[in-house]
Amino acid sequence: MMQLVTLEVNGEQHEIAVEADGALLAVLRDGLGLIGTKRGCDTGGCGCCTVLVDGRAVYSCMMYTLSAQGRKITTIEGLAADGKLDPLQEAFVNTGAVQCGYCTCGFIMVAKQLLSETNNPDEDAIRHAIAGNLCRCTGYHKIVEAIRLAAKGG
Amino acid sequence: MNDYSVIGRSIPRPDAWEKVVGGRGYPVNLRLPGMLHGTLLRSPHPHARIAGMDASRALALPGVKALITPADVPRIPYSATFFKPATSAAVVRDMLILDGTVRYAGQPVAAVAATTASIAEHALELIEVQYEELPAVFDPEEAMREGAPEIHAGVRHNVIGRPTYSLGDIEAGFSAADHVFEGVYETQRVHTCYMEPRVCVADADAQGRVTVYASVQHLFGLREKLAFVLGLPVSSVRAVQPPYIGGGFGGKLDLAPIEPLAALLSLRARRPVRIEQSRYEDFITSSRHPAKVYLKTGISRDGQFTARYARTLLDASAYASEAPEVIRVHSRFGLMLGYRCPNAKWEGTLVYTNNMPGGAFRGYGAPQGCFAVESQIDEICEKLGFDPVEFRLKHAPRCGDPHPSNAAWKLDSYGFDECLVRGAERFGWRSRAKAASGRGVKKRGFGMAAQPLWVSGCLGAPDTYEHSGAIVKLNTDGSADLATATIDIGSGQTAVLCQIAAEELGISVEAVRLSGGSTDTLPVDAATHASRTTYASGIAVKAAAAAAKKRLLEVAETMLEASAVDLEVREGMVRVKGASAHAVPVADVVKRAESPFVQITSKGTMQTVLAEKGTIIGTSSLAPPRNPSPASAQFIEVEVDTDTGEVRVLRAVYAHDIGRVVNLAGAEGQVEGGLQQGIGYALMENMRFEPETGACVTADFLNYKMPTAVEMPRSIESIFVETDEPSGPFGAKGLAEPCLIVPAPAIANAIYNAVGVRVRSLPITPEKILAGLGKI
Amino acid sequence: MSLRQLKEFCIPGDWAEVDAQLGRYGARAFVLAGGSFVHGLDARGLLHEVEALIDIRNLGLDYIRAESGGLRIGATTTFAHLQAAPTLGESPWLGALADALACPPRQIRNVATVGGSVAASCPYFDPPTALMALDARVAVVAGGARREFPLGELFAGTFENSLRRGEIIVELFLPRPTGRSASAFLKLEGNANDLAIVNCAASLEIDAQGRCSEARIALGGGVGDAIARATSAERLLQGRVADDEVLWSAAEAVGEDIDPHTDHRASAAYRLAVAKVLTRRALTCALARSARTPT
Repeated sequence: MMQLVTLEVNGEQHEIAVEADGALLAVLRDGLGLIGTKRGCDTGGCGCCTVLVDGRAVYSCMMYTLSAQGRKITTIEGLAADGKLDPLQEAFVNTGAVQCGYCTCGFIMVAKQLLSETNNPDEDAIRHAIAGNLCRCTGYHKIVEAIRLAAKGG
Repeated sequence: MNDYSVIGRSIPRPDAWEKVVGGRGYPVNLRLPGMLHGTLLRSPHPHARIAGMDASRALALPGVKALITPADVPRIPYSATFFKPATSAAVVRDMLILDGTVRYAGQPVAAVAATTASIAEHALELIEVQYEELPAVFDPEEAMREGAPEIHAGVRHNVIGRPTYSLGDIEAGFSAADHVFEGVYETQRVHTCYMEPRVCVADADAQGRVTVYASVQHLFGLREKLAFVLGLPVSSVRAVQPPYIGGGFGGKLDLAPIEPLAALLSLRARRPVRIEQSRYEDFITSSRHPAKVYLKTGISRDGQFTARYARTLLDASAYASEAPEVIRVHSRFGLMLGYRCPNAKWEGTLVYTNNMPGGAFRGYGAPQGCFAVESQIDEICEKLGFDPVEFRLKHAPRCGDPHPSNAAWKLDSYGFDECLVRGAERFGWRSRAKAASGRGVKKRGFGMAAQPLWVSGCLGAPDTYEHSGAIVKLNTDGSADLATATIDIGSGQTAVLCQIAAEELGISVEAVRLSGGSTDTLPVDAATHASRTTYASGIAVKAAAAAAKKRLLEVAETMLEASAVDLEVREGMVRVKGASAHAVPVADVVKRAESPFVQITSKGTMQTVLAEKGTIIGTSSLAPPRNPSPASAQFIEVEVDTDTGEVRVLRAVYAHDIGRVVNLAGAEGQVEGGLQQGIGYALMENMRFEPETGACVTADFLNYKMPTAVEMPRSIESIFVETDEPSGPFGAKGLAEPCLIVPAPAIANAIYNAVGVRVRSLPITPEKILAGLGKI
Repeated sequence: MSLRQLKEFCIPGDWAEVDAQLGRYGARAFVLAGGSFVHGLDARGLLHEVEALIDIRNLGLDYIRAESGGLRIGATTTFAHLQAAPTLGESPWLGALADALACPPRQIRNVATVGGSVAASCPYFDPPTALMALDARVAVVAGGARREFPLGELFAGTFENSLRRGEIIVELFLPRPTGRSASAFLKLEGNANDLAIVNCAASLEIDAQGRCSEARIALGGGVGDAIARATSAERLLQGRVADDEVLWSAAEAVGEDIDPHTDHRASAAYRLAVAKVLTRRALTCALARSARTPT
């Protein structure tokens, strides 16, 4: 069953036909070509698919596309839209927080919400903020460091 | 500190810039025009014979373009392991692409390609399979009993092999012992949990040549194995190197069913076919083999090993794949070779069961052994009052000793003692209290473990030489393109290999760019496995860069009016040694050589001679000469809640003889990531199955628990001991694996130190600790 | 995902539309709020029959009202929204709820709703255990008619609620305790993104003499088909000063109130042992919070 929806993604309106039971993740990746949002598990367990909806981090694999109508969706592609990297993106590169990188965009998106709420999160706050995201390469150490660095303004 | 300009610095991975904005290069992102979606039908039964299959309704479904059943696959038995040659005597060829017999729950029985994923899914439901169920066995000990189900025809008692190892006289050794320690140590099945699912796009052209794009760790292994199972010459398969893949950790070192099935579907449909695994499929594709190790050690009064005996029962699973090699590495590097003992004996048993496949996983057989050895050493030291650091030092090999696994080599560089001493000092090992001496509900404990001997590749294993190759090409802007078939699985080669090339060429690391290729264009390379790429690929890259530099200097001879032997390259300039003013930019030399046109300069037309003309390029293809041993020691502090049994790892110090640090941040990242996997192995990760059906009940991240950022210690320190390996590129050797091997026993030992409970089976769940404390 | 029979996904803006949809699809309509739990069912192929998904987030049920009698929480209020409500941080009696809401990962807190979490009747979730200890009442509406009942009556079994056809949860009400009161919630989990192996919420009201005038203890995780109230333990606290001895005996008594099971995450014996520990700790924490509470 296809339904026509209008989605606002990274400030642009998209009118697109979607499966009525489809997940936002699939539309972002396959419908809109926003491949920075990754599929890792489809069950809200890994966080690779994290995007912001109205500024809040959600698992896009668990959100019905139709539930995202009328909301502002931000993907990783929306962070450096003007060509200049977000401080989080810079910090992830410079601290070595990126290894295989498959989880990276999800971590950056959830950290984006954290830093929109506080510019001085302590280590516990950072670690709990990213508890819904898994990384198998880094042991999280440099990811925490990157978020702390970005909070301080890069 | 060293005199190098690039080696030893922390540099960002060149691909990190791409990855933080989305990362287009992952194989999972690839789409081709006209591409079909493939999907697999999997058996719900752990052991069954397929008595019949009717796929006619599925084939009739509009949108279905190809369908493969067991009757449609080549009858070529194979082993899934990439790194051994398909026809090697060291592998057990017990698989077919689709088999008429199912040997584990979830084994594929058919594959469909359709114009959309949902049509393909629907088609699967229309395939009717008549299974004739057979009795299944999941416990390796039961599988060996008389009357147990026969899993592979003719394999008596399901025993694939009984490898052994022996040295000296074990009986005499035990007779000479004043103390004998024994114990059974068990380890569980765990999954690599790479984040990018396994995915494959196969594209068969009109002549039947298959191009394949896949998320795997071994480009040439994929080509070789795929060609073999399809019955095609290797030249009919082209494997294209992805810029990067989303993790591997060994989980992408075997041929998965999706690659040959995508190829067969594509050959049939003559359209590209893409198969992407679900997380459930990823979980049941590969795993670390569970093992049960019986370990018995004889000790003299003065604390010398007199005899070491071990017996290992390895659950080889439904198909042997990596198991014969896993158990070999396990016996040598996990159990027997790390510490000196005149009398040693090991007996292994490899047993088929109806469990999901095992495979490779970072550490490859060693974690199962290291857990036993390092736990028992702690027991010995506790009982006899030895200091665990001193005890290990006393039994470890020394620098310059013959290599324990190959007497033809020496331990030319070897810094285990320094790992132990520096690690202990940084950690504050001396302040360790007596076991279970803490007060209160939550008790702290210190523990340590070590991996005295490890590898920088697989040289020395049967049928394994592990060539690497590289191409270094200089550009007219002074930059260099570097191509190797090495696949960066997140382990940092993109940075490290660029650094090695830059150092050798004398140009900045930013001027080196890693470029891609395929099995058509790249020199052959071994897998990204066995802690080998910095060492082995590094040697190849350095050689290719040296070849390019040689040519560069030859062309510069006329420009600088000096002989090539008197020239050097530094900071992007070719100069006469000792005369820094007399120099030309690398870019100008390359232009002179490469440009097909006469160069017009400010001084007029620049003449060149015919011999100078041509791309400045260096290539290499060579096997590493040695297999130098890294060494490592892990120190861990834990806190144990004696009411709930929960364990928190508070602090970790890890010391590793790395030969030479190439990229400091990258090396630290390896250690920190290894610790995450090691803590998971020690405390929580565990694949579990329905006892009746063998169906995996932990095939998602809700049920398969691994550490999040919250469970990781706040403090992780890495100490890198630089021993300058003579055969390594700028002195470097392997790193990636010991940092995952050692945490589990170190944590077990720390838990013992905290609460006096010795847990000899992984994972050390809160429940086992409460049981040990007598609370349940 | 796998709703092959799905004909419609609607987001009604008023109740008339809801009723029309429910009338049209009857038992084949499925109501969702945040959708995270529904997604879980969908992904496991449990919603094959569903023909209509009704997203109720535009019905004005996203509210938090602190009234003199207690706290009213609209059914589609997200965990994150509730967590950020000032009253939650300021009210020791709501401590258990604040504790429990902090457990799920951020991505879940941002979408999961209070109504959805109780409708799921999943004993492994965290906020419902806290709501049980806070004596929550559920308000449901069907065809314009509203009824209210204690939360415990909603849970008919694991993943089974007692809602009648067409009923939609609209509100949860938490009655404000009279005296000095505080609550606390604790959880044992495999990692920081996990369902509960065991969880426990305890709520105490302390009278002027320092005695427990009211004690409510709820336990979740694998301790029964549904979240359990530990009434035996509660009785031991009633009317007594909660000293160490009383806390220990109350914690010990939860064994009478729960029926833990064994699964791949933990054994029944372990769950029982930990249920007692968590109960004692939750009571201790609630007691400490109450001591800091002005009467």
